[in-house]
Amino acid sequence: MELRMKQERLFDEDVYTVHPEDYRALCEKLKAEGYDFPRAISSVDMGYGLRVVLHLTRMSDLAKVEVRTDVPYDDPVVDSVTDLWPGVEWHEREAYDLMGIRFRGHPDLRRLLLEEHWEIHPLQKRYDTGGYPLPDWQPKDWPDPAPWEEPPPPEEPEEKAEGGEGE
Amino acid sequence: MSYIPIPEDKHFRIKRIGYDPGRSRPWLERLVYSLYVFAFWGFVVATYAGVPALFDWLGWDSGWGYVAMRATQVVMLFLLSAVIALMLILALRKYLGKVQERYGPMHYGPAGGIQTVFDALKLLGKEDFVPAAADWLTFRLAPAVTFVSSFAIFAVVPFASGWTLAETNVGLIYLIAVSTLSAYGVLLGGVSSGNKWALIGALRAGAQMVSYEIPLALVFLAVAVWSGSLSLGEIVDSQMGVWNVVPLFIPFVLYVIASLAELKHIPFDFPEAESELIAGYNVEYSGMSFAFFFLAEFVELFLLPALIVVFFFGGWHGPLFGLEPGTLAAGALQSLYFTIKTAVWVWVFLWIRATLPRYRDDQLMEFAWKAMIPLALFGLVLAAYMRLIWR
Amino acid sequence: MSTISLEPVPGRTDEMVVNMGPQHPATHGVLRVVIGLEGERITRAVPHIGYLHRNHEKIEEARSYTQVIPYTDRMDYVSGTQNELPVVLAVEDLLGIEVPERAKQIRTIFFELFRIASHLVWMGTAMLDLGAITPFLYTFWDREIILGIVEKTAGARMLPNYYTLGGVRRDLHPDFFKDVADFLDHLERRMPDYEHLVLENPIVHARTKGVGVLPKERAIARGVSGPVLRASGVAYDVRKAFPYDAYPDVEFEIPTSPDGDTYARFWVRFQEIYQSCKIIRQLLEKTPKVGPYKGKAPARLRVSGERYRAVENSRGELGVYVVGDGTDKPYRIKHRGAAFGNLQVIPDLFIGAKFSDAIAILSSLDPVFGEIDR
Repeated sequence: MELRMKQERLFDEDVYTVHPEDYRALCEKLKAEGYDFPRAISSVDMGYGLRVVLHLTRMSDLAKVEVRTDVPYDDPVVDSVTDLWPGVEWHEREAYDLMGIRFRGHPDLRRLLLEEHWEIHPLQKRYDTGGYPLPDWQPKDWPDPAPWEEPPPPEEPEEKAEGGEGE
Repeated sequence: MSYIPIPEDKHFRIKRIGYDPGRSRPWLERLVYSLYVFAFWGFVVATYAGVPALFDWLGWDSGWGYVAMRATQVVMLFLLSAVIALMLILALRKYLGKVQERYGPMHYGPAGGIQTVFDALKLLGKEDFVPAAADWLTFRLAPAVTFVSSFAIFAVVPFASGWTLAETNVGLIYLIAVSTLSAYGVLLGGVSSGNKWALIGALRAGAQMVSYEIPLALVFLAVAVWSGSLSLGEIVDSQMGVWNVVPLFIPFVLYVIASLAELKHIPFDFPEAESELIAGYNVEYSGMSFAFFFLAEFVELFLLPALIVVFFFGGWHGPLFGLEPGTLAAGALQSLYFTIKTAVWVWVFLWIRATLPRYRDDQLMEFAWKAMIPLALFGLVLAAYMRLIWR
Repeated sequence: MSTISLEPVPGRTDEMVVNMGPQHPATHGVLRVVIGLEGERITRAVPHIGYLHRNHEKIEEARSYTQVIPYTDRMDYVSGTQNELPVVLAVEDLLGIEVPERAKQIRTIFFELFRIASHLVWMGTAMLDLGAITPFLYTFWDREIILGIVEKTAGARMLPNYYTLGGVRRDLHPDFFKDVADFLDHLERRMPDYEHLVLENPIVHARTKGVGVLPKERAIARGVSGPVLRASGVAYDVRKAFPYDAYPDVEFEIPTSPDGDTYARFWVRFQEIYQSCKIIRQLLEKTPKVGPYKGKAPARLRVSGERYRAVENSRGELGVYVVGDGTDKPYRIKHRGAAFGNLQVIPDLFIGAKFSDAIAILSSLDPVFGEIDR
């Protein structure tokens, strides 16, 4: 199955940026490739949406991989990978708690660090440090080649059609 | 011991802020704490020799006068137990400090000597409340039950020859019966507190104390069989030649272990494991009720080593230097020996407290039932056999 | 927070729900575990954290990178400068800052000193949980010496704010080498005593052997790191896997133990103290007494890009994910606390154990809530 993703190499890690619906399939593929140690799930508020970053390591040869997904603000749902790597359970709960990303299929998605009656997700950029919404914050537009697509090739006539894995 | 590197920057001077514990003057500490031991000894002499002499001089030595004399002795012993608790708490803290490379209390009194007075005042000053979820009557009575059962052991402890509050010939049975009651106090206190933690602590304590009373009773039986008597005075008398620890070594070891368990002392302090149950069965107590539990524990911390000395180390025996046994001077000297031996054993108990971690409760029970009871039975049989052969 | 309740399980009627609450002498901080007990056996355990949440990540978005460093100190407050290193390394990667060799060695010496300090704290508090009140005082005395050494150089004891982009802030105190050498001699004289008191103590054996076994695959899948992972048989140490600072130049071993029980975790931490002493001794010889202690960092920081960087904290893998947006303040900085990953195994380990085993297990996991809750 074609996964809508983009792969690049930053520093010493392979970074995959993937469409949120294919996130789960990519994670299963990586698990099958032997990535067994989940280091963390980070969440970033990109301005146009929320990003989930899953950091994995393979114990056998210490290869590192990052899987990134962007979800829009109004529907921040991503599949949970808790059954693949149980160690992301609390990381996903923290991402939900502080950033508002909902993980579909998580066994116990509730707030971890903040109290259960809190309604906002404070780490989003629309709130300031005190938790109060900034009055003039607007979400940015979604980037034009979506993050999981290869950037369009520069306009050179001899450029081979490396439209690649983007779709 | 090593140094702490202190920056000696001339722009930065170390100023002593807050409370400065002062220098430690070992001679002063030794003086103060020996004074405590001698004060204790003097109290004992006053109770057992002074009070009868006083009443004798007053002429009230029969009938109600006798009752009054005994009552006065009991009151003096009550005060004595308060003094004991005072001393032992302080001794514990100072000794722990010594083991742990620190000073211990230093502020009140010379080398911290009066510290416990202020501890007692603090406890008295606390609000003695009954939690709403607790059963009022049992909650209030439980510390009293524990304290009474510990304090009542004083009645049969022989401080010197003839210096026993109640000279009965079934002292040992009285001892077993009365010391068992403290398990009741603990159970009632914990269960009536209305607190799950107290409940867990109480159940653990009850189970532990009951399990360890069986080897204790078997050891008592071994001693009784060897000495041929159930009276503590006669048990001590019979150790004139050789102290019981020599023939009865196995019961002695078992008795020490069982005493630690009865005392809920480390390594068996599971019921009051501070780092697990906060304070176990006495977590809801404060003020004077807590003081009673505390007092009971420290009185027993004195009494159980005293019993070790009585049963195994010859009680008050020691060289009399030509004094006539039975006189006041001889009695005083004998009670001094008793005091010193008990102090040594209390020190051993405190040493154990400072050193060891604690066992888990199922390991405790396993040890009691699977190891100590068979050994105690063996010791009993051995004692009987030896008595048959050698006496 | 939620009330003390676990959903009732039909058919299980004698389960007592106990709240091992945030204030408890044995939870090493503010952890709340709602435990379902049947007698002495634990049937359910649900940990709740967040009592020490100070919102570091959002605050740090409004601070420049050099101002972020003191904030990171406060995460794993027992380990001092160890927390500063991942942020420093990540930003150095993103900016391409060169760190002089001597600065790397100084950073490593402090890193290992704080590892020893943290393990000494762990030892004292673990024995306190098990009931022995004395080792606590001994280990804290040794830690006082370390803190004094750190104070002479860095200015503060526990939270020194010493590392910076490109190296360290101040040069070493002239007494540093002698102090550290004396301290190592002192510690190596004391360690046999500690081994005797802790590792060879039959009561400790009885309390910890076979208790809280964490199998290897479960440990890896749970994202456990540090001594807990190494005690389950996995030789994963960030210092060897993804080396940083002066670690490529020193020789040391990774102590691992095939049993995954509490005793193994105790043992691994002990061995790590020895290994740290070994590392520090090698570095004391290699580090030149004078030389550069700080590389050139740009005066105006313009950091862009993302980087995840991890170091081997005393508790495990302490990671940081820095997202820079071209200014001198981080756009997003996420800390992955070492003990955060480790605490997830609480339900696995507690269930089926007895209650006091739970205390021993928790003390062997060694959580520090500053880095869990941030």
